[in-house]
Amino acid sequence: MAVPAPDTAVLVPGGPPLPSLLVSDRQVRMQRIWRAVKLWVPLGVVLFLLAMCFLLPLVVTLPSPTNGDILAASLPPLSPGHLLGTDTVGVDELSQVVYGGQVSFEVAAAVTAIGIAVGGVIGVTAGYLGGWIDAVLSRVLDVLIAFPALVLALAVSQGLGPSEIHVIWALSFFGVPVFGRIARANTLVIRELPFVTAARLSGTPGWRVVARHVVPNILPGVVSFGLLGAGLTIILEGALDYLGYGIPPPEASWGSMIASGQQYMSAEPRYVLIPSIFLVVVVVALNMFGDALRERWGAQ
Amino acid sequence: MTTRGLAGSPAWKLVGRRLVAAVIVLWGVTFLTYAVMSALPNDTAAGLLGLKASPAQIAALNRRLGLNQPFWVRYWHWFVNLLHGNLGTTLEGQSVNHELATYLPVTMELLAYALVVSLVLAVGLAVLAARKPNGAADRFSLALSMLGLSAAPYAFAIFIIVVFGVQLGWFPVQSNALGTGGVGTFFREATLPAASLGFGLFAIYARVLRGDLVEQMQREDYITTARAKGLAPWRVLVRHALRNSMFTLITVVGLNLGALIGAAAIIETLFSAPGIGQELLNSISNHDVPMVEGIVLVFAIITVAGNLLADLLYAVLDPRIRYGSSSS
Amino acid sequence: MSVRTACLAGAVALAASTAACGGSSSGASPGAQPSMGNIKNTPPPKAGGSITVLEGKGFSGDWPYGFDPPTDVTGSANQDFYTAVYGQLFDLGPNGKILPDLATGYSFSDGNKTVTITLRKGVTFSDGTPFNAQAVYYNWQRDFGPLAKKAGLVPPWEVARTASGPAAISAPFAKSAVQVTGPDTITVHLTTPDGAFINQLFDTTPMWIGSPAAIKKEGEKKFAQDPVGAGPFTVVSDTYNNQLVVKKNPRYWDKPKPYLNQITFKSASGDEAAYESMLAGQGQVYQDLSTTQILNEAGQHFQELNQPGTSPYDLQLNTASAPFSNVKARQAIYAATDFAPILKAVFGDRYPVTESFTGPGGICYEPKVPGYQGYDPALAKKLIKESGLDKTTITLGTINSSPVAIDTTEALRTEWDKLGMHVNIANYPLDGLIQAFRANGGKNWQAMIQTAGSWDPSAGVGVGFRFLSNAPYSGVHDPHLDQLLFKAQEPTKVSQRCPYYDQAAEYIAKHYYGPFYFTFAPANISVKGIVGPGLTSALPAVAVVPAIPWQDVYYNPSGK
Repeated sequence: MAVPAPDTAVLVPGGPPLPSLLVSDRQVRMQRIWRAVKLWVPLGVVLFLLAMCFLLPLVVTLPSPTNGDILAASLPPLSPGHLLGTDTVGVDELSQVVYGGQVSFEVAAAVTAIGIAVGGVIGVTAGYLGGWIDAVLSRVLDVLIAFPALVLALAVSQGLGPSEIHVIWALSFFGVPVFGRIARANTLVIRELPFVTAARLSGTPGWRVVARHVVPNILPGVVSFGLLGAGLTIILEGALDYLGYGIPPPEASWGSMIASGQQYMSAEPRYVLIPSIFLVVVVVALNMFGDALRERWGAQ
Repeated sequence: MTTRGLAGSPAWKLVGRRLVAAVIVLWGVTFLTYAVMSALPNDTAAGLLGLKASPAQIAALNRRLGLNQPFWVRYWHWFVNLLHGNLGTTLEGQSVNHELATYLPVTMELLAYALVVSLVLAVGLAVLAARKPNGAADRFSLALSMLGLSAAPYAFAIFIIVVFGVQLGWFPVQSNALGTGGVGTFFREATLPAASLGFGLFAIYARVLRGDLVEQMQREDYITTARAKGLAPWRVLVRHALRNSMFTLITVVGLNLGALIGAAAIIETLFSAPGIGQELLNSISNHDVPMVEGIVLVFAIITVAGNLLADLLYAVLDPRIRYGSSSS
Repeated sequence: MSVRTACLAGAVALAASTAACGGSSSGASPGAQPSMGNIKNTPPPKAGGSITVLEGKGFSGDWPYGFDPPTDVTGSANQDFYTAVYGQLFDLGPNGKILPDLATGYSFSDGNKTVTITLRKGVTFSDGTPFNAQAVYYNWQRDFGPLAKKAGLVPPWEVARTASGPAAISAPFAKSAVQVTGPDTITVHLTTPDGAFINQLFDTTPMWIGSPAAIKKEGEKKFAQDPVGAGPFTVVSDTYNNQLVVKKNPRYWDKPKPYLNQITFKSASGDEAAYESMLAGQGQVYQDLSTTQILNEAGQHFQELNQPGTSPYDLQLNTASAPFSNVKARQAIYAATDFAPILKAVFGDRYPVTESFTGPGGICYEPKVPGYQGYDPALAKKLIKESGLDKTTITLGTINSSPVAIDTTEALRTEWDKLGMHVNIANYPLDGLIQAFRANGGKNWQAMIQTAGSWDPSAGVGVGFRFLSNAPYSGVHDPHLDQLLFKAQEPTKVSQRCPYYDQAAEYIAKHYYGPFYFTFAPANISVKGIVGPGLTSALPAVAVVPAIPWQDVYYNPSGK
């Protein structure tokens, strides 16, 4: 995808904090409010969408996201019982958005968690230990980064059949090496900092140095990138669905909603518009939240 | 992987070592691709022969394609051929080299167009934005690049086709004629797909560059010096800050190159553009291992070259990072 | 006995089968025909001009092998190009009439076991070499030769072969089987009577004759990319799966045709992309439009021709394994399905409901079958319980490239769900579908949505393809049904064949071998000013869409 791939995140400082030189109290206050807005609004949007996807079905009985009434096909939005209308075989659009959103969030969370855990361990190990271990691990990461993960994702799903777990597997191939690289690059920098060098020279065991100094220092960077990565994962998950290699039908997913809606775009544009809007809003919110976190933690 | 024998300056040593590593990485990619493609269940021959094939015909085709041999034997054959510059034969009986020669130029032209335009626009916007942080241009640049970063290329493409292809009629809806005809044809056919590919790139570049420029303008000593010398703000920004920030930008460009094949695959299919991305999707669904290998190899080379460049630039830019620190 | 299916084998046959592989017409029984579209008065012929014809990806928009008949597995889908470059020995005219083209006539003798074809005199290929019986013989030898065997395209003619046993079906014909009996006559000796021989030629490789001199000179690879025939057009440029440009053949025999100077065939990534291209003025013709939502709009902007369909969708039930080895389970499926409301809601009542494998566009059309089990929810519920269908999950498969088939499976699932049957839908890509049919000796699959039938049920992906014992994609293994279907193709007179097909339809209904739903037929759309058979006037479909005789097509946008 034309996406901020690999470790660009290291290099993607959304907007660096602007040091407030010679500014009035009012400006300081405005800046503080603005910073709070930049943090809490995206977080609020993410929480709202999470609630919509995971809590709404528990509270209200939504129509099935897979089975519809064929006789109630192609209803427009705001039809009774179908807030966003129904698709061409009568399945409720809102339900598909909700359950498709669950898939998107689950995949994003799982891929990010796997990426941080596995990539983090590899990256920190390589960066901290250095030497031939670093050489070997770095080459493995290089191979994984140079390997077009889309090929792997498609091949896996083509061979084993599409499923949510295969999507997670496949997308983790995108995630692990990226997180690994970031963790390694950050560890390399941290390792050379005076207090870490001091701890090492004073005979503190390696694992303690890592646990007490390295991990806490690289975590903010990795986590705030994780949010960017989660947004990206949602786009990629959609891409696999869009190509028909993601979540198998009839299960709902945003990518497959866009793909099927595209087949009648000129006649019924809303089938593309509805999932696209949700997709963009979620990803924008995740990215802005990540930016805001980086700004805070970076400033600390 | 010792490269002690390599004589010359440390920089050349570094380049030598990284080249050796790059070759190893490329080999790893080809092996991984072959292993994954072979490990997955498939029914290539049956799929090729279609409905009316008998089991005997399928077995015969499997033999002809060498699919009855174990995977490492096939990989070895492929690898030996590769060393002779021969990438093998597709399931449809064409030479992979020939297929790459046919389809790769279209994709490369498309990607180059997308890259150049998004770079130019990103640099322009980032400079405008950095001139007055938090000004109108800056806000606009942040919002636009956030949108570009968050828009799924496949959805974005669908919308620009409807607006610029169908409604306004400025560009063709489908880009079949890419790769034929002259410059005029190229720009007519390539603009919409390149825009779909480039919007995300533009967003990344603009973000990176804008951030870097702002940081430099506020933090770097030489900028302060230049300012103190009474240079016009524009000149400081363009002549000094931008020149330095270009390193970062080039690094980001290099890192993103390899990932573009995925985007190209979807966008080419959407636009019916006769490029290698579309071929990649076809080959995966036909389980055409030699063709997939060939395409993956090309993009792996591009990625590795991009990474190599990025690594070397890192080393140049940040002396704190030491490479291949076998001494510690 | 071999399966007598004449549709091109290979990949496309199955793709074709999802929509149709037969044609329309013959004027048998008109039945409840849908509207023919919105074509009103057409302008007079005009020579000259160029047009762009869009071809849908996944079917006619893919030509990965080029256009050498014996090697082209997807030729079935690419007949537009074949008719443009090669012409045909015969054309399928309005109402299923066999029209002369490069051949002027045919005759049956010896109890329908000998067929003699007379060729047009004085025709030359576009390279100037003569078209005659020797040239046809040379092509036919290739059509039965090693290239065709490798591609799985050897025609299933009932003739003496150079091999016996199971190898016979893909072996060359014996010397005695096909003979050049004069400079312009060629004779085929069959081993069993086959009155449908000429009908079965459509959509098979022997219909297309290339220049022997060019084949020898260029070699097979080059010839596939730059074929030389005696058709109305010659190739200018050809990028596989993407764009084919052809221009007027100055040596064409039927002057002053063709009318058009140039045709550009462009692959479009689907109905929507093709439709958008036409809206933007970047294409003049699109065939095989089947997306209902677009069909609802298309008529406002373009000429729209709805062909009478020939290939009904049927639900194949696998009688070789549970649950549909149980006749009660099969009857339950019949009783559980009410297709009329689905047709209205999903397909806007575009297609006629049917109970048999014949369509309004084909021969022997008979939509009603005596004794057919109709919708009966009470009975369905009872049978579902008795046969245990409520305790299992049925896998209902189809091919993923056909929106109509996918919508149909979705709709069926919705209906059956209400009666307590659980359905798992599997939309296979082509090779996945083949695997699904083959797995475990054909015993794994349970139910498939496919088309069965053809303008002549004995041709193409006809009834035999889905219902004969030894057909690889049939779920039915019943010798009595085999007998009926073989008898039905022996006579040359259609009136003698139809009673057998009626009996077969009744027999299928009686044993609940598979319900039929509706006769699908895609629409062809074109811009105002385009006139031609199959585009603005009905023409039987040979494979899904009619093979357009491009020499007859003209573009007169001014209308004068």
